[in-house]
Amino acid sequence: MNRFLRTFAVAAVTVAAPLAALAADWTPPGPIKLMIGFGAGGGADTQARLIAEAIEAKHGWTILPEQVTGNSGLNLLTALKDEPADGTAIGMIVTETMAYNLVASPESGLNAGDFTPLATTAAFRMGLVAMADGEFSSWEQVKAAAEAGKAVRFGTATTRQGDMAYHLGKGAGIDFNIVSVKGGKAIMNGLRGGDLDIGWVAGAQAKAVAQGEMINVARGIDTPLRETPEAPSITDIGSQFYLDGNFMFAAPGGMDPAVRDALAGAIAEVLADSGTGASQLVTRAFGGATVIKGDELDAMLAKAAGDSQALLKDVTE
Amino acid sequence: MSEAISYIWLGVLAVFEAPALFSLAGIGIPAPLVMLLCGLLTGIAVGATPGLAGPMAMAVSLPILISVFGVSADALLPVFAFLIGIMKGATVGGAVPAILFNTPGTPDAFMTTLDGHPMTLRGTPERALKIAHFSSVSGDTVSDIVLFVCAPFLAVMVESVLDLPEKTALIILSLSFIAAVMGASVAKGLISVSLGMVSAYVATGQGFHPRLTMGVEALSDGFPLIAAVLGVLILGEVFKSIFDMWRGIRRKRAEDHNADLAPDGLRPGDIRRILPHIGRSSLIGCMVGALPGVGSTLAATLGHSLGKRRHETRKGPTDKSFGEGIPEGIAATEAANSAVSGANLIPVLSLGIPGNAAAVFLILAADSIGGFNPGPSVFNFAAPEINPELVVAFGIFTLMALGNLLNWTIGGIFMRSMGVMARVPNRILLPVVLLVTLTAIYVQETSLAALWVAIGFGVLGFFFRVLEISVLPFVIAFILAGSLENTARQAFSASGGDPFFLFRSPVACGMLAAAVILVVLLARKK
Repeated sequence: MNRFLRTFAVAAVTVAAPLAALAADWTPPGPIKLMIGFGAGGGADTQARLIAEAIEAKHGWTILPEQVTGNSGLNLLTALKDEPADGTAIGMIVTETMAYNLVASPESGLNAGDFTPLATTAAFRMGLVAMADGEFSSWEQVKAAAEAGKAVRFGTATTRQGDMAYHLGKGAGIDFNIVSVKGGKAIMNGLRGGDLDIGWVAGAQAKAVAQGEMINVARGIDTPLRETPEAPSITDIGSQFYLDGNFMFAAPGGMDPAVRDALAGAIAEVLADSGTGASQLVTRAFGGATVIKGDELDAMLAKAAGDSQALLKDVTE
Repeated sequence: MSEAISYIWLGVLAVFEAPALFSLAGIGIPAPLVMLLCGLLTGIAVGATPGLAGPMAMAVSLPILISVFGVSADALLPVFAFLIGIMKGATVGGAVPAILFNTPGTPDAFMTTLDGHPMTLRGTPERALKIAHFSSVSGDTVSDIVLFVCAPFLAVMVESVLDLPEKTALIILSLSFIAAVMGASVAKGLISVSLGMVSAYVATGQGFHPRLTMGVEALSDGFPLIAAVLGVLILGEVFKSIFDMWRGIRRKRAEDHNADLAPDGLRPGDIRRILPHIGRSSLIGCMVGALPGVGSTLAATLGHSLGKRRHETRKGPTDKSFGEGIPEGIAATEAANSAVSGANLIPVLSLGIPGNAAAVFLILAADSIGGFNPGPSVFNFAAPEINPELVVAFGIFTLMALGNLLNWTIGGIFMRSMGVMARVPNRILLPVVLLVTLTAIYVQETSLAALWVAIGFGVLGFFFRVLEISVLPFVIAFILAGSLENTARQAFSASGGDPFFLFRSPVACGMLAAAVILVVLLARKK
């Protein structure tokens, strides 16, 4: 068992202590600082702020959102690490930051054990997307074009996505030209403008796919995508891993399990209530909330960290 | 075509059906309209105040606007409306101190003093102001029409013709053009651009480890954009003015004249006299404005000198010449410098490249609020779902057209009442500007580190001014540096890691050659 799995296993055991009774009574000792690792005004930022608003309304806590962006969430983790673990500081990031990014950047000096994962909110609906009427509208066409000697431009938005594109190409025997751009929307614009041929998009493609402009050539997650249930999984076409991920909240490490349960419970509660703006947004943008917390979340992150190590090993070999 | 018309309609609706700010006699007044009017009046007042300029007011108001309207999609149009209002108002207001007190509020209003002030001395200031207003608003209107027609076509053409390497070359060409044409010399322009790029590259890039931060954690997400830009543009100017006051160098201020300011006004035949000059100068302004970075001073100079040449060949023996206080002189200048403002947005909306300081703040607004990324992807008429960015673009056009309407009607009256602003002394103006700017930065960034960054960049801006290096290339390079790096990286990886990716396409080679030739030629000339 490697270092990361061990860290997670320890964390999981600690948390399993049954202190749930305390959770209901917990109130934060002061205003909660909510660090948001995404640009102001975007979908993820709005999601975080709406969840904060709904929790304030339900529990009467005070939550103060602020932007801590940059370095794929690592700036946020660096700032969060030194905050008190008493529930007055939490951050919103993606699971990728807690898994792949920590594994891939040992120089950051951060470890998974420095943080307490609270709860996920929504799962990516990751697809390998292309224009529906273009020459890459199915995996067979992508393969055929590559075999015919055409350079295929593969748009990626994060380092992990770039590694996954390389890993997928390696498995399928294709040497993609991997182009790193800023975010899924930029990948879609690149596809429309002809600057890119295919690319990973984590959910923003749903509308364009439903309207027939774009198509999911493959899915990056293990459950079928709603708009294109027939799309093959990337594990069917050469990859050993999924490119899955979630938006999630985390807190500084060493948090009292009762506090952890109370915070995670509050997040889960507002997302389960279809009357909150947060729940409506998550339903509209991600097809519904996906709340994973407690041991299940620890196990999921441990697996993601293990997969990330295997992925890094594969792409550097 | 029908898609274009329905988008235009959606843009108009976006303005008129926006959430109401308040209601008047039971009718909700949409926020963008209110903000447009407020912006316009602010702009006229600011333009009429020597030492302040439109971009300064845009800079200071942007953070405040964002804290009022937030960063939701609904905030885009009201914020743009206010900024566009300032842009349009300042263009008109700039002529006021030039005509009344011989103190040009902006460099391009200098030419207006040549004919405007003699008219004031002769006791016809209102006639001069009315001529200036009419010419300025006409030039602005022509320019907006050129923008509405050209920007979408240019954007669509650019997106279909230019691939990643060509886009990279285009940004390089724009930056070298800006470096070459702005400021005292090409070398100083290049220094300005280079420093702007170095500052922008702090803590950006793709690695997990922020670069160039020298271990300073406050810099781990780079210099805050608003702090850096406001620091160089405004604090630098304030520091320089304080320095000048300390050294006893006063800005040349005209003495009060005891001229008779009795109401005068337009005379029959005035409009007919100046129309040819307005037409010629508007065209010159549009052409100059469409080039990034050239700015309105050149347009005003060109408009004035071509108008002068034309006037000399046509005038009768008893007619006055340019410079002796004739309406044609004001018209030729004001139409030209105002016609720059609309055309200047062509490179912004179609390429995402800001051409002047006003455009910089429109890009900053779009960047801070999100949901609208100026550039070729805005004009995507083909997307099956409604393209919200395109609706915003047509909303902006609607606001510009409405701004002209307001300028035509109440702008003139307000402008003529603004003579008083030219008398605000620097010892009151400077502290107010300093305080408002620092507050504005803190409102947006909510960190003291941002204030230190702003002051640091203010000191840099001060030295730029002392050394006569233009600051605008610095600001534009600061904004474009990220696009340049990203596009170049993308072009490099899309070509499969070809180190000569910039030289594989004739279009890109042509642009790079043009960039080099421009710098070499202009360096020789200057």
